[in-house]
Amino acid sequence: MQKYSVFNLIKKAFNGHKGWEVAWKDPAPKAEYDVIIIGGGGHGLATAYYLAKEHNLNNIAIVEKGWIGGGNVGRNTTILRSNYMHDENGLFYEKGMDLWRSMSQDLNFNVMYSPRGIINLAHSDAQMNAYTRRGNSMRLNGIDAVLLGREEIKKLVPVLDFSENVRFPIFGGLMQPSGGTARHDAVAWGYARQADAMGVDIIQHCEVTGFDIVNGKIKGIQTSKGNIKTKKIGLCVAGSTSILAEMLNMNLPLETHLLQACVSEPIKPILDHVVTFGAGHFYCSQSDKGEMVMGGDLDGYNSYAQRGNLPTLQHVLTEGIAMLPFLSKLKMLRTWGGIMDMSMDGSPIIDKTHIEGLYLNCGWCYGGFKATPVSGWTFAHTIAQDRVHKLNAGFNLNRFNTGHLIDEKGLGTKTWIS
Amino acid sequence: MLHIKCPHCGLRSQNEFSYGGDGTIKRPELNKEISDQDWNNFVYNRKSPRGKHVELWQHISGCRQWIKVQRDTVTHEIFQTADVKQDIK
Amino acid sequence: MSQDFRLEKIGLINRNKKISFKFNGKKYFGYEGDTLASALIANGIHLVGRSFKYHRPRGFFGAGVDEPYAIVQLYRNNETEPNVRATEQELFEGLEAKSVNCWPSVNFDIGAINNFLNIFFPAGFYYKTFMWPKSFWYKIYEPFIRKAAGFGAASPNHDKEIYEHKYEYCDVLITGSGPSGLASAYAAAKNGAKVILAEDKPRFGGSLLTDDVNIGNQSGKDWAKNIISELKEMPNVIIKNRAQVFGYYDHNMLVMSERISDHLPKTNKYKPKQKLWYIRAKEVIISSGSIERPIVFGNNDTPGVVLSSAAKEYLKVYGVLVGKKPLIFTNNDSAYETAIEFKKNGINSIVLDSRKNPNSEIINDAKNLGIDIKFSHVVVSANGYKKVKSAEISKISDDKEELGKVESILCDCICVSGFWTPTIHLASQSGNKTQFNSKIDAFIPGKSKQNETTVGSANGLFSLEETLKDSFDAGYRLSKKITNKDDKLKVPQVSEKKSSKHDKFWCVPLPKGRNYKRFLDFQNDVTVSDVELAIREGYRSIEHVKRYTTLGMATDQGKTSNLNGLQLVSNIENKIVPSVGHTTFRPPYTPVSIGAIVGREVGKHSKPTRKSPMHFWHEKHNAVFVDAGIWLRPRYYKQGNENLFEASKREAANVRKNVGVCDVTTLGKIDIKGPDAAEFLNRVYTNAWLKLPVGKARYGVMLREDGIVMDDGTTTRISENHYHMTTTTAQAANVLSHLEYYLQFVWPDLNVNVVSTTEQWAGAAIAGPKSRELMQKLFPNLDCSNQALPFMGYTESNLFGVPARIFRISFSGELAYEVNVESNNGNYMWEKIIEIGKEFKIQPYGTEALSTLRIEMGHVAGSELDGRTIPYDNGLEGLLSKKKDFIGKRSLTKQAFVATNRQRVVGVVPLDRKTGIPEGSHLVKNVNEKKPNPKLGHISASCWSVEYDNPFSLAILKDGKNMIGQKLFAVSPLKNISIPVEIVSSHYVDPKGERVRS
Repeated sequence: MQKYSVFNLIKKAFNGHKGWEVAWKDPAPKAEYDVIIIGGGGHGLATAYYLAKEHNLNNIAIVEKGWIGGGNVGRNTTILRSNYMHDENGLFYEKGMDLWRSMSQDLNFNVMYSPRGIINLAHSDAQMNAYTRRGNSMRLNGIDAVLLGREEIKKLVPVLDFSENVRFPIFGGLMQPSGGTARHDAVAWGYARQADAMGVDIIQHCEVTGFDIVNGKIKGIQTSKGNIKTKKIGLCVAGSTSILAEMLNMNLPLETHLLQACVSEPIKPILDHVVTFGAGHFYCSQSDKGEMVMGGDLDGYNSYAQRGNLPTLQHVLTEGIAMLPFLSKLKMLRTWGGIMDMSMDGSPIIDKTHIEGLYLNCGWCYGGFKATPVSGWTFAHTIAQDRVHKLNAGFNLNRFNTGHLIDEKGLGTKTWIS
Repeated sequence: MLHIKCPHCGLRSQNEFSYGGDGTIKRPELNKEISDQDWNNFVYNRKSPRGKHVELWQHISGCRQWIKVQRDTVTHEIFQTADVKQDIK
Repeated sequence: MSQDFRLEKIGLINRNKKISFKFNGKKYFGYEGDTLASALIANGIHLVGRSFKYHRPRGFFGAGVDEPYAIVQLYRNNETEPNVRATEQELFEGLEAKSVNCWPSVNFDIGAINNFLNIFFPAGFYYKTFMWPKSFWYKIYEPFIRKAAGFGAASPNHDKEIYEHKYEYCDVLITGSGPSGLASAYAAAKNGAKVILAEDKPRFGGSLLTDDVNIGNQSGKDWAKNIISELKEMPNVIIKNRAQVFGYYDHNMLVMSERISDHLPKTNKYKPKQKLWYIRAKEVIISSGSIERPIVFGNNDTPGVVLSSAAKEYLKVYGVLVGKKPLIFTNNDSAYETAIEFKKNGINSIVLDSRKNPNSEIINDAKNLGIDIKFSHVVVSANGYKKVKSAEISKISDDKEELGKVESILCDCICVSGFWTPTIHLASQSGNKTQFNSKIDAFIPGKSKQNETTVGSANGLFSLEETLKDSFDAGYRLSKKITNKDDKLKVPQVSEKKSSKHDKFWCVPLPKGRNYKRFLDFQNDVTVSDVELAIREGYRSIEHVKRYTTLGMATDQGKTSNLNGLQLVSNIENKIVPSVGHTTFRPPYTPVSIGAIVGREVGKHSKPTRKSPMHFWHEKHNAVFVDAGIWLRPRYYKQGNENLFEASKREAANVRKNVGVCDVTTLGKIDIKGPDAAEFLNRVYTNAWLKLPVGKARYGVMLREDGIVMDDGTTTRISENHYHMTTTTAQAANVLSHLEYYLQFVWPDLNVNVVSTTEQWAGAAIAGPKSRELMQKLFPNLDCSNQALPFMGYTESNLFGVPARIFRISFSGELAYEVNVESNNGNYMWEKIIEIGKEFKIQPYGTEALSTLRIEMGHVAGSELDGRTIPYDNGLEGLLSKKKDFIGKRSLTKQAFVATNRQRVVGVVPLDRKTGIPEGSHLVKNVNEKKPNPKLGHISASCWSVEYDNPFSLAILKDGKNMIGQKLFAVSPLKNISIPVEIVSSHYVDPKGERVRS
């Protein structure tokens, strides 16, 4: 594989950049694979990469019904964090942060990991207390967290609304300094390029139409490009999980919902952190291009449409202006939507299933992007070793039977309330 | 913004309603033995179909009635709405 | 100052009104009716800004919404706004604008060094470098790139402008007032339909303002004018200019933003800057027209290269010449109109037509006028840096592969026309699957998904005659469906010049040995070689191409670049364009002000707060308020220099010692009536309700079906079939919906009705050992003895003539009563209580004292009932009936919920009896354990116990039941605090509950 570096870039420049090879190939499916990953999104690509890299498997295929990276990995607000209260989440995502820190070098692809700090604003003492509980939990788990007072926040983010007599005064906030952003598309492409280099077949425009299961064991899949044999299947299809689950006669604790996001026109740097609003659901950061990247609530009803309605965005931007008044004079440039696999306790599922050789990776709600590396890492382990890793042991499917739920927000099963 | 025909009030904009999830889930009868699986199917498990979905909405800023709506989860086309006591097939 | 490029006699501007404005600090003038762009061009200014990546000089390319270049920082009424398109901004007196993305100035921009290094910056170069050393991306490279990127600068100030929202319904919404829009609006309106006609530009008429056509016996322009004035008079028509329909949402909801004051020096008082219209239309006619697309050639981004249609618009609408020595480069007939228009105004142009030997009326006209036309000729490259100075031109072979000898030709602008791209955004947003029409080399709408019909050039019809016929018919047909009327108009006669076929040619090949940059996306600096590189590297899906190269992702959203990008991809991949497909069209069609989307819900109108009837009394008595759900509640009443801690301690101590009064109006209240009400409560609450007598209250806990505590409160049996339920302030709305859900959907056989009465009753809690004496004085006719009104008793009486409900319930753990009166009597009640309570040393107390009182009594509240706890965790398992079923009961059998070491609420006191434990601390066995340090529980609520005068906290602790007496550490690493503590019972004060029953 060609190395990406500034030297190579200069070298190739003098030949009109004609010497660059494809980042990944476009092979036809083979008759059989050791493992097939369904879903060429971030999680699927990362899983294939770690299967090859950490578990020495080299006969792997990723089948993707559209183009790789076309799902939520290319439709998010690029936020990375591990600021969770529950141990299962905190320790899992912190492993993810470790992987983010060296991802550009590991993949030899600049994913623009930018640990600019994520700040959750608090607008009441009660909220400060809730954040204290969470921040302390993070610290006890070895995750970086700082409690900030109003004045400290003012120094970091002066463009927030610190005026007098404001509807949602800023009391302070919780900051994870190592939280930040990464370039979403680059993550998918970087994993794809390395996985391809290690022999993974990335098969695009290949839709799964059925499963071959004999005596409770996986034997293969049926696709729009023919039948492919395999003994192990990893399902990484996020918002489409319920569709495949129906083919498998599985009834999962999931609902698919739409989350919208939007960006403003690009402006000169004004916001150096990721900031979240505490009196509602709004988060914002500024991309390297200068666009304000904004998101918030789900559209609020089951949806597979990758398009949303305006009232939700209106609501989200209302909170945006309450937090960052300067947004009012900017223009909304682009909106998009992604379909989210909302789980019934808000936490993911990475587990084996009752079907031998079928492994499940879903329930990411609207937090899947930051999990990309660690989801792939633990899922690869689960598939290769046929047992869960201790980092994803809590994310078992059985927790809905046993009651060991991991409900970070305490909202219960109303998945559409975000 | 969706336009939902409340069977009691007529066509109203979505912002008068609040969503209530899958409308095909039936609460198990009280005081009846029920398996863990069936109970979990009621509390947690959902079909979440791509396509036609019978769901509940409450006309919260109107008549406050819960209603059933059959909607396509891809196109959002609404095929039918009904009083919550009626079945939509 | 003279305007060198302004013509005397042509244009629609008001020459009687001169307008002065500033650009980059220099003063110019224009006329009323100018845009900033037309006024600048009139003054000979072509250099407006710099491009995103290479900082190449940028001028004007279009004359409207499709403009990729001319983005400025606008100053208006002492405020500034970034990223305003000069081609859309109308001129007003005192307008100031500045170039963006350049430093120190647009003329001399340091960033332009990027242009000379451009060979090192191909598409996606940043993915391949800046990786070493590891920390440098965030610390060095990224800040540098961020500073270089972005266009304008946001004003950090609050936006003082008003933005309004309007909801409107209509029969037919028509988007665009060109010939197709006018015709369909007219036909629909005349057939009785309620019509809204929206025009994005200040002037109605679209292409009729600039095209040389006749309709009936008048010019197209006059016909448009007459139709518009007639429509304006019709009561069933709303007609709006400066109004862009930017989004087509579900169920035929369209959203339009109307610029009401942007063209004025400042917003008039009581007028909004912009208005956002939510329009629910029965039928939508999309008449958004088409946008001319460029032909790609070398250095085609040089200022002075403009769309041929824009050159014509500047001429005919503004009387402005984009150049005096124009070169016109076309593959179709429409550019000849521009050439003829130049000629009519005394300017000789040269036309290069890529076609071999086209023949049509307009070409003949041009020939007859003596216009120099070179067929089979193309522009190879524009020369000049900040403005076009000349062009390299050449003959081209019939197969368009081979160039002939390249020669240089002097010119000061190049007007380019590569045929027309229908504006299908709205149709596509509606869900319409668009289809490629190879006759026009562009996509047009396919089968309608919602009630939308696309007409005119937006639908690929480029002849006026067909357009009018089609549009009149659409207006008539769609209105008839709604109005059932049959007033059909006759389609007027049209005279127009017939066009010959355009050439399927869109990109000029490079001459041998030359490597000109050929731009596809002008704002984001995406060139032909960038797209070639992307495909070479395997980014083959059109979405990959877009994301890798950023093609079409600029603020113009690729209006002039997308189709050429598609053509290029299909050429390289050897596919036809439709199989490449286009990227998704999403709202907004053009960027929309965020202020307009939000509207009036800003400042205090953002989630408005509710206030109790006693609010103003609290305000008068120095209450410090706190948000409680949607309400404002007094947190404490400040006396002198007291702080929160001191005041709440005083208030709480007074309740324990004398008597206090607390405003509890905000508690949720639900009236429950019906013969099955008792049965209903019995199912909703975990405890037994069938035997509650009339005149008695009972505390209850309700669960979600997953077994988690949803809410708690008391419910009182007012009469046989009438109950009064209270909920927590935060859960009031959820509980009501919850009850309605079960009554209407799950158990419709139960004859029960519920209704919220939260706002109907004002409530005051009177608590403390002296509360009975006070109550007796407030209600002299009532027997307030423990026998007559025992704990959990209920009665009704009147408070000096005001009917009152009296509940003997207590949250503070003291002897207490709650009095409810109708809301409008709330303040009267409150003042009476304070007045008569004086002799008992009554003091009002706020939520902070209330918390103290409940915490030291071990009463759980929101911080313990946090959506993750089951009754056992809160010490409420005694309320779980074993005899009956209730909501959520089945879930309580889950393994984790019956675990013997389950978490449970406990009391926590610091060993030193002095150090307060911050809320949010965690309990650990060992402070210095290596991370992750196992957490045993967390501090949910803390107070200063007024009873024992030492700190006391509640905690949810793992195996709490068996931990009483244990010594642990409460740690808050965030605050660097670690406190040795002892676990005690959560019922710290009066564990037997004797006071409430006294």
